[in-house]
Amino acid sequence: MPLFDQFRGRRKSDSDPLANALADRSAALLERFDALVDALPVGVIVVGDDGRVTVFNPAAAEIFAVPRERAIGRTLIESVRSFELDRRLSNALRSGIEQTAELTHNVGSERRLEVTTRPLRGSELPREAVAVVHDITRVRELESIRRDFVSNVSHELRTPLTSVKIIVETLQGGVDAATQAEFLNDIARETDRMIALVGDLLGLAKLESGAPASPFGPVDLCEVCREVVATQALRAKQLNIDLQVRTPDDPIEIEGERTRLVQVVVNLLDNALRVTQPGGHVKVGVKRDDGHAQLYVSDDGPGIPSSALPHIFERFYVVDRSRARSATGTGLGLAIVKHIIELHAASVTVESELGVGTTFRCRFKIKI
Amino acid sequence: MGRENFHRILDETQQDVLRLGSLVEDATAKSVDALTRSDVKLADEICEGDDIVDDLCVRIETNCLNLLALQQPMASDLRTIAAMLDIIIDLERIGDHACDIAQITKNLATEPQLKPFIDIPLMATNAREMLRESLDAFAQHNADIAHKVPQKDDEVDRLYRAVFKELIEFMAKDPRAIGRGSNLILVALYLERIADHATNICERVVYMVEGVPKHLKRSVVEINQAIGQSEGLSTRSLGETAAS
Repeated sequence: MPLFDQFRGRRKSDSDPLANALADRSAALLERFDALVDALPVGVIVVGDDGRVTVFNPAAAEIFAVPRERAIGRTLIESVRSFELDRRLSNALRSGIEQTAELTHNVGSERRLEVTTRPLRGSELPREAVAVVHDITRVRELESIRRDFVSNVSHELRTPLTSVKIIVETLQGGVDAATQAEFLNDIARETDRMIALVGDLLGLAKLESGAPASPFGPVDLCEVCREVVATQALRAKQLNIDLQVRTPDDPIEIEGERTRLVQVVVNLLDNALRVTQPGGHVKVGVKRDDGHAQLYVSDDGPGIPSSALPHIFERFYVVDRSRARSATGTGLGLAIVKHIIELHAASVTVESELGVGTTFRCRFKIKI
Repeated sequence: MGRENFHRILDETQQDVLRLGSLVEDATAKSVDALTRSDVKLADEICEGDDIVDDLCVRIETNCLNLLALQQPMASDLRTIAAMLDIIIDLERIGDHACDIAQITKNLATEPQLKPFIDIPLMATNAREMLRESLDAFAQHNADIAHKVPQKDDEVDRLYRAVFKELIEFMAKDPRAIGRGSNLILVALYLERIADHATNICERVVYMVEGVPKHLKRSVVEINQAIGQSEGLSTRSLGETAAS
């Protein structure tokens, strides 16, 4: 019989007040024990001597996507089909072995689990074993993102620094005036790249620190779009990309911080221009939409895989690292966009189809 | 061996079948994961794990034969034992296919990737889902689930055709891609076979529960009619593939 279960459902005796008091006390303890296990944020599974599950808390049910009713009373392998977990619990039960391991378990998507299995010491015979399961999927994802980010930033900083070093060494060796001017331009360009990267990092840190923004004021989104497109027109032309801006004649005003809204359009447009092939098209525009202002940036680039869509606004997430590296992406642009949009109590969404293109839409409340 | 002992061993053997299913399901997932990430270490682990699959198969088979020889089971118990003897053959083959994919991963590890992996991981996801549900049907002795699972095989077949056609086009354009392309066609074929094995398991579950043998996999002609297009492949060549 599982731990404590000998006290469950015990009937009260009419003639023995002490037994009744003990039964009440046991019932209260059991209730407290159940509530405690249910409240734990980690999965807890207990199997009895016969291998059947006696405790399966809500966190375990969520981690393994198995309803508690389906797990209780059955052997673990019948409900949670994890050979490794089953084997480790069996080892704990039969041989008293305590183990901690990282397992993968797939229930629709892959989950990384840190599982500790051990015999329940101190319990009376028959024996029981417990598995404590931490879902560390998110932790592993963040570690991976951090590694990618460090790798990206290191690369992005090292590349221009290496260029600058080589150019400086060449200049020290002595070159003619024309070459000197050309090299100085190269140094300026590489320095700009580094400043942009450091600027992105600082900008994001500032946004995340919750530092107060400048006071909001009326901002005409049409004018913001036209201004940003004008600054990028030459670049688009050099890339042979057709860049169009579509705004109504009347202004569409929202309450916001102009500098940061400009940065939203700059980041979205910069992304679009980086992924669009020569001969492609990029559109930037604003329109009224059901009492809201909708700012959109669309391209007919390669599109974003559906598996990447839920992650693109995460800090440091890069859809295709090799592509981003070649095109100077840091993985910060969209995270900055998301923060600024949230600052304006607005929303940003993305639609994308592989081989067709991508559209980002930001939806703001119109200033009344 | 008393009757109580008989039911205990029968229960334990059914749990062993589920353990075997869990192992090969995991191996299938890892094999495609190793392929897409060119992870040779993981591929090695998958091949090493095949020994556990074989040992488990022997244990289940021995238990089933002992039960048959010593207990003369009847009715549903007899059908359950007969079903398990069939199911472990399918599961063992799935384990072999996972190992085959791992071997291809090792072969391709030093070669540049031919194309982004899109349809093959999708095939693997569908095939694994079918396998998981077929094992759910077995675990719960549920013929309704078993009847539904084979319907998903059409999608796996469609993806197989798409991968096959695309890779043939790659190889026709660039003969240097023939080695990599033919290996990837084999991977797609193994995944298509895994889905077929899941359908076989469902057929055994239906027999186990209802006592009537049923053929759940649709014929090639029915599949072609459902898809409504040949996509450049003759019925004959598809028939040969499906029967391989």
